[in-house]
Parts: sequence; C-alpha cells; structure tokens
Amino acid sequence: MGASSWQQFKAILHKDLVMEMRTREMITSMGMYALLTMVVYQIALAEAGDSFDVRLVMPGLIWVAFIFMSLLGLNRSFVHETDQGCIDALLLAPIDRPVIFFAKFVGNLIFLLVVELLSLPVFSFLFLQGREGIANPVWMLGVVLLGASIGISGVGTLLATMSVNTSGKDIMLTVVFVPLMYPLLRAAVGATFAVVIGGPASVFMFWSWMAWAAGFDVIMLVAAFGLYEFVIGA
Amino acid sequence: MKRMTIAKIALALGGVLTTVAFLMAFLWASPSSYADGRVDFAQKIFYFHVPVAEASFLVFFFTALYGLRFLMTKERRFDVKARIATELTLFFVLLTMATGILWTRVEWGVWWQWEPRLTTYFIMTLLVVAYFVLRNSVEDEEKRAIYAAAYGILAFLDAPISFFITRWINSIHPVVFGGGANSGLESNMLVTFIIAQVGMLLLGYSFYEMRLHEEEVKERLEALKVSIGG
Repeated sequence: MGASSWQQFKAILHKDLVMEMRTREMITSMGMYALLTMVVYQIALAEAGDSFDVRLVMPGLIWVAFIFMSLLGLNRSFVHETDQGCIDALLLAPIDRPVIFFAKFVGNLIFLLVVELLSLPVFSFLFLQGREGIANPVWMLGVVLLGASIGISGVGTLLATMSVNTSGKDIMLTVVFVPLMYPLLRAAVGATFAVVIGGPASVFMFWSWMAWAAGFDVIMLVAAFGLYEFVIGA
Repeated sequence: MKRMTIAKIALALGGVLTTVAFLMAFLWASPSSYADGRVDFAQKIFYFHVPVAEASFLVFFFTALYGLRFLMTKERRFDVKARIATELTLFFVLLTMATGILWTRVEWGVWWQWEPRLTTYFIMTLLVVAYFVLRNSVEDEEKRAIYAAAYGILAFLDAPISFFITRWINSIHPVVFGGGANSGLESNMLVTFIIAQVGMLLLGYSFYEMRLHEEEVKERLEALKVSIGG
C-alpha cells in the first residue's frame, strides 16, 4: 500500500494549487469574466435610471455572473488534465477514484470561492455606492456563497469530467449543467435576496432557502460521488 | 413474441380507455365551475394533462432505474432501455407542456408565466433534452452509455426537488393530490380521471415495449448484415 488517502488527496490538491499559483490562469480568466459581466450589467441597466433600486436585482445578477464564471473554471480544470495527458497518469497511479473526486472538487471550490469573494466588493463598488447598504450582517452572504459553491463545484466536477470527453466540450458543460443547477441557484438567489433586502421575516427566509441549498448539496454530492467512479473510468 | 402480444393488447386497451375517458369528461363528469356559477369548460383538459404529466414522471423513473442497472451490470440492453424510457419522457413532457400552456392561456390569460410549477417543469424538459444532446456528442459507445446513465440519474434526482419546491414557494398552480378541499374531485370526476390515468399508463407501457422491440429487430438486422458480409 502506498500513501494514505489523505496524503493522496493533499498531493492532488497541492498540485492544482501550485499550478494555479504559477500560471494564475483560472483566477485571472474567471476574474476577468466576472468583471466583463459587470460591464454588460452596466449596459443592461443603462436606461433604467437612477431611481431604479439595483439591490432588487443584485442577487440575481451576482449569481448569473457566478454560475457562468464557474463553468469557465470547471472547464479549465479538466482541459489541463486531458491536454497534457495528466488524467491518464492520475488514473494509472494507485489512487482511489473517490480521492480524485474530492481533490478536484475541493480545488474547484477554492478557486470559485476566491473569485466570488474578490468580485463581490467590486460589484458593490460599481453598483451599490450611495445606496442603502446590505440589510443583514455580511457574514450571511458568506454562508450563501459557501452553500451554493459546494453544490456548483461538486456537481460541476462530475459533469466537467464528462464534458471534456465530448465533442462539444464547453458548450456541452453549459447544456448539462445549468438546468441541473436550477434548484440550487433559486435557493441561492432567494437567500441572497433575504440578506440584501432584509425585512421582518428575512432571517427565517434566509435559513429556509439555505436548508433547500443544503438538501440539494447533500443529495447531489452523494450522487456525484457515487457516480464519479464510473464516469472517470469510462 | 409474447411481450409483443401483451404490448399490442395494452395499446388497444389504452387507446380505448383514454378515448372513453375523453368522452366521459365531456358527457358525464360534472363540470367544475367558478365561484359565480359560470361553467369552467377549460378544466376538461385536466383529464388529459394530469395523466400525461404523471406518466412523464413515471417513465423518467425508468431512465434512472435502467441507468443504475446499466452501471451495475454494464449490459448494453439496459442502456437501450434507459434511452427509450427517456425518449418517452420527452414525448410525455412535450405533451404536458403543450396541454398545460393551452390551459394557462384560458385560465390565467397568458401563454406562459414563470410560476414555480411551470418553471420547474420547463427545467425538466431542458434536462431531458440535455440528456440527448449529451448522448449525441459522445463518440465512444461505452462512454456514451455511462455518461448518459450518470446524467439520467442526476436529472431524475433533480425532478422531485423541483416538484417539492413548488409546494414550498407559494404556487398558483392547483395542487391535485393531498391539496385539501380545494382540489377535491367529485366521485364521477374521479372515476373519469382514473380511467384516463390507467389508459395513459397502458399507452406508455405499450409505446415503450414497441420501441424496444423495434430496437431489437434493428440490432438483429445489423447482426445479420454483418454475418452475410454486408
């Protein structure tokens, strides 16, 4: 027997993190994507006028940016592996398949969370200045980010493993990923709305939406974890 | 061959039952009415819409079931079964959407509304379509079967979440089962509905068997072609 699962996990994650530190490819491309999306939002809202309360659409806008941004990152994370044949070496190595899943999943989760955390202040700087602040404590936004990103990276890791082997690649990931994410995104937007707008029942609403998100995460992660072995061996 | 006989009987019986249910819906079932006593004629589509919608959920279950069995056994026939079940799902889903949209237009005055149940059903349509898009983009046969099985299972898990989220978000779509007094059916409506439901399931079953038979015949033909050196 070789290294323990925990060491294997750390090794794969470490490899991904080091590669990202050296190339900064994923963080920069995802960050640029988020920034460009905000420019598009400026265009979309250009005629809405100053009296329009951006806070009402803010939860939707940020999650649109995040979901498409995550697609970009998920795709990159596997294109690397297949382009240089790394995935074959990874499969040849005496590593349990679930370990590969968790390492890739955590790697994707970290990149996604980093870019999300970087782009939220930028969004607030560009769109929310001179307006009412966020009604509920900001740490609640962190809970939403974490809850939704876990589901996005978990299911995304499985689907990206499939889509790199299809003829459509990035387009294919979008087609299979977005409809599957609907309940989670709906919950994320609902929870974010409760944090941003506030109101008497907002804390209850927030936790209810988060319960939906958590339920989705648990069911889908267990399923993705169980299916990964078949998919990566295909 | 015996399976085909049963399928043919199911087809005939299903056809008769759904037709009878249609006639009963218009001739016998008591018309539902608005609070002011006006007769609600559009409600008759209920005897078609709900059985079709339920059939779609049921056959979708077989997509996941055969997907799972394929992953366990790696036998090709389960992949074929899963694919045919998904084809049928698409068929029923499209019928549900079409009848639902007609009803929405009459009752709510709009063709489409982003109402939770409609939204989630729309999502289910997209999932089923995505299943076929995924299948078509994988060259390798075994890979295609595995990916399709995995995606079918995930998509099926998504469907009940959609279903239950509508009970939670305030929905204006009528809740037919367990919805309390609001959705109660009178007994002659209930009988009509059950006949329509049973007929639709028989139709679904016979469509499934016949498609499966067609695939098997096609495969035998291919095998024969190969064996004579074509």
